[in-house]
Amino acid sequence: MGKIMILNGSPRAPISNSKQYAEIFARFCKIETVYHNITKTNHNELCAGMSGFSDVLFVFPLYADSLPVGFLDFLKTLENNPPVNKPTVSVLINCGFLEPEQNKVAVQMIELFCRRNSYVMGSVLMLGSGEAILKTPFKYAAVRAIRNLAVSVADKHYNTFNATMPLSKKMFCLAANIHWSLYGKKFGTTKKQMQTMRIEG
Amino acid sequence: MKLILSDKPLEISTQLGERSAYFDLSSMKISNCVGCFGCWVKTPGRCVIRDDATMIYPCIAESDSVLYVSRIRYGGYDTVMKTMLERAIPVQQAFIRIHCNETHHVQRDVVPKRAVIVAYGAVDEEECDIFRRLVARNAYNMCFESYDIIFVVESMVNETVKQILDKWEKS
Repeated sequence: MGKIMILNGSPRAPISNSKQYAEIFARFCKIETVYHNITKTNHNELCAGMSGFSDVLFVFPLYADSLPVGFLDFLKTLENNPPVNKPTVSVLINCGFLEPEQNKVAVQMIELFCRRNSYVMGSVLMLGSGEAILKTPFKYAAVRAIRNLAVSVADKHYNTFNATMPLSKKMFCLAANIHWSLYGKKFGTTKKQMQTMRIEG
Repeated sequence: MKLILSDKPLEISTQLGERSAYFDLSSMKISNCVGCFGCWVKTPGRCVIRDDATMIYPCIAESDSVLYVSRIRYGGYDTVMKTMLERAIPVQQAFIRIHCNETHHVQRDVVPKRAVIVAYGAVDEEECDIFRRLVARNAYNMCFESYDIIFVVESMVNETVKQILDKWEKS
């Protein structure tokens, strides 16, 4: 029976959407999962611990079109400190844009890491509209895709999935902009203030 | 304005013209973005982390020509340059627009730019290909009107940068 290590590579891991996605994954997973946030100080510990797992799932957001730098640094540590037994690597990546395909380059970077370091690549889930999807009626789309991901990893029937809000681009922009306006309001910031064109001004 | 950002020291001080800025990121104090969205929702256009990055992202926004010099890792920018690029998100708004038939963030006052990226340390053609795809994506989000990527070995970085600056001077 396998065991899955879930590693959250979000810079704000304890309060991240990635953490919520990891929790949904664990809920639907038929085999044991162990969750960790990647922090600046636990890289070596996580690399050493990886040996005891059949699979690892990296969960992280898209940052500047690729891997968040803290997660990149973890991969560099992992390259230099490989576990004795290498687990199969799966990925759950989310971006705030509508198109899940915007995550593709980041996935290709992980695939390159795996090829270079002799890890077998497992399943991939690319999520679009990831920043807000769990708070909308379209939560089901994300949950269904994460469930499919969990089943594929547990059964070792690895596959690639993607999901996003079933909206037109125009409607998505409208919905996203309402989301962000309300987010700003929580901090007493108006939409007009958020739309300032000034930088450091 | 012309901007040179490098993840290693360059020997170019005599070649910098007027309205040019050069930052050796490896010598600066730049923390990781913590993903707090403060620059979008609390202090729009200003990062809440007040370190050296706050000098640099306004220059990125103002520049019509940028030259980025970076080591490549797994087909992306290595740590030093990537840290700075992530910290540059105050130049964008939280709001989303349709741009080139995809959804992207609205830019603040960001000048469209010509970008040259000198990329060193790539191990093979596959890594170069991934990096090309990454820069193509960056172009949408970083306001690149056009871009060139020059792959070099590390020992050729200074020479390559000097040639680019010569071209800039003549243009």
